[in-house]
Amino acid sequence: MRPDDSSAAVLAPAVPELQALKRQQVLRLLLSNEFGLLVLILVFGVAFALLTTGFLSAFNQFTLNRTAAINIVIGYSMMTVIVTGGLNLAVGAIGVCAAMFCGWLIEGLGLPWPAAVLGGLGLGASLGFLNGWVVVRSGLHSFIVTLASMSIFFGMMLFITRAASFRALPPAFAEFGRMKLVGTVSPLMLVAIAVGGLLVAMYRFTALGREMLAAGAKPEAALLSGVRVGRIFILCHMLSGVLAGIAALLLVARTGAAIPSMAGQLGQDWLLPAFLGPVLGGTLLSGGRVSVVGTFLGAVLVAMLTNGLLLLKVGEFWVQTCLGLLLLVAVLLDKARRSYLARRRML
Amino acid sequence: MTAGLRSYLETDWFGPLAITALAVAVIGGLNPSFLSPFNIQVLLLAIAVNTLIALSQMIIIAVGQMNLAVGAIGGLAAVCFAGLMQVWGLPPVAAAVAALAIGLAAGILNGIFIAVTEISAFVITLASLSVYKGINLGITRAQPFYGVADSVKAFGNTTVFGPVPWLMVPTLVVVGLIWYLLNRLPLGRSILAVGGNSHAAELSGISVSSTLITAHAISGLLAALAGVVLVARLQIGQPTIGDDWLILSFAAPVIGGAVLSGGHVSTSATVLGVAIVAIITQALVLFRIDPFFVQVVLGGLILWAVGVNRWREVRLRQGPRRALR
Repeated sequence: MRPDDSSAAVLAPAVPELQALKRQQVLRLLLSNEFGLLVLILVFGVAFALLTTGFLSAFNQFTLNRTAAINIVIGYSMMTVIVTGGLNLAVGAIGVCAAMFCGWLIEGLGLPWPAAVLGGLGLGASLGFLNGWVVVRSGLHSFIVTLASMSIFFGMMLFITRAASFRALPPAFAEFGRMKLVGTVSPLMLVAIAVGGLLVAMYRFTALGREMLAAGAKPEAALLSGVRVGRIFILCHMLSGVLAGIAALLLVARTGAAIPSMAGQLGQDWLLPAFLGPVLGGTLLSGGRVSVVGTFLGAVLVAMLTNGLLLLKVGEFWVQTCLGLLLLVAVLLDKARRSYLARRRML
Repeated sequence: MTAGLRSYLETDWFGPLAITALAVAVIGGLNPSFLSPFNIQVLLLAIAVNTLIALSQMIIIAVGQMNLAVGAIGGLAAVCFAGLMQVWGLPPVAAAVAALAIGLAAGILNGIFIAVTEISAFVITLASLSVYKGINLGITRAQPFYGVADSVKAFGNTTVFGPVPWLMVPTLVVVGLIWYLLNRLPLGRSILAVGGNSHAAELSGISVSSTLITAHAISGLLAALAGVVLVARLQIGQPTIGDDWLILSFAAPVIGGAVLSGGHVSTSATVLGVAIVAIITQALVLFRIDPFFVQVVLGGLILWAVGVNRWREVRLRQGPRRALR
């Protein structure tokens, strides 16, 4: 809200001005990323329901929200680092390392699965810590640091595991992945929603979350107002590592095994979903602003488009092209929206 | 320290050259088969292809951006090259020209999107990476093209003299042209000026957007050439060509002292960077060290190189101050 708007309204609460103010607020809401995504999800949902057979079937909805849940958490993982104005190319590599470590703790050490899950997430956090520590200490851009660490983490993982998967996981994992609540909802989705809720609470209500946003928006200003920016950035990277670990463990629950190639070569296959969610959701790449709900909706839209395009028999190979085009269209629309809002504010 | 030696130490190519010489001496001493003609030929083949990949990225680093789509453009050009020969029966030269044109067009599209929308190159090339890779998979349905013409296979397999393969020829020409472009031509100077400070470049009359588009066009062309050359070397049009170029394309320019924020790159040092990566990869094979370890070494090399660059930068900044004291 513009400060001069509110002061004008307070000084002279004329009815037409108030209405104009309200109209502007409504307009801003209608032009928000979250609202746009919601509309797109509804439009595409109706289109796919009419054009394809089986889009609304219980089974398809179940697989859809299982896939979406994983993409959502991958999106969160990237989002927590984008907050700092950096990025984390190693999301996929960290995720795979965490999942493989969890698999090894179960099969190699015979730990019970809850301990192994914690161990996997712990490894995710430590790899994230390494990234953050190097970025903060060296002053290098996180792009090049995480590009290098993605190669190192993934290479070490292959070196240690000899590229063998862990397939004898306890049935609890596979059962969790197969479980259906109310016929269509997968518990994986509930995990994604719960994690999202925690992130919203953190960014909204905790000092830590506010400090992350402040440090990302303007590191120098945050430093002057007593925020320990370096430590906060490292925490952001650790959080990203934990979330990458959660995403990978959800994927393990879905496939029933921890496989080194589950995120592609060097974990590169996760890069596109990792950026699609936050960028569609209106997270600023320059840092300092997040939209957890937007990331959630963005990932849901992507999962739904992928699913719908496959049902339309576009051919699985063309889906990737469509997703790339979607990212292009999304950033262009976002740009147009921003310049429109800027112009309105100037009027 | 004498002034002459000091000025050598401050160039970009001196460090990488010293490391290359040291690595050749040490590895050659430990394992004489490293210097066998066959091994040198294998090494030169790797260097020939990887230099093109590295230069394709280097030209974008020079304008202060990054091109994640280098591998996707190369892969698309590679399958188009092989596909045009197999499916439409085009002569190799026509197919190669078409493939290079596709790479050029892909690069120009990247450049136009980045220059017109002013959205970060990272996001645009991430999107176009997925578009180009998707087109590649859509055309090939993930199956390789085997119908590569015999003349192409011969070009990829024979040597000019001794252990020097024919594939080195296009690479050497490109290295010469890029060096000439960046050091002698106005266009090259404007590329570096835009990378150094695009605002200042704009004020001094350089068209930033057309410079960006040209840089991306060159990058696309070089990536496509790398793809075509790799088809000649592998003898088939693999749809997976380009998947593993990302790390390598950044490693070599960074080892060569390129500043990632733009404005400072060195063609010769980048070529030496490629050589260092190739020699180390080769050494891991010769000493029967786990091939999985190559990834770790590549990542480590990048970190080490950016660390050294950073240290040099800090020292250069401190240099004048120390002189004043």
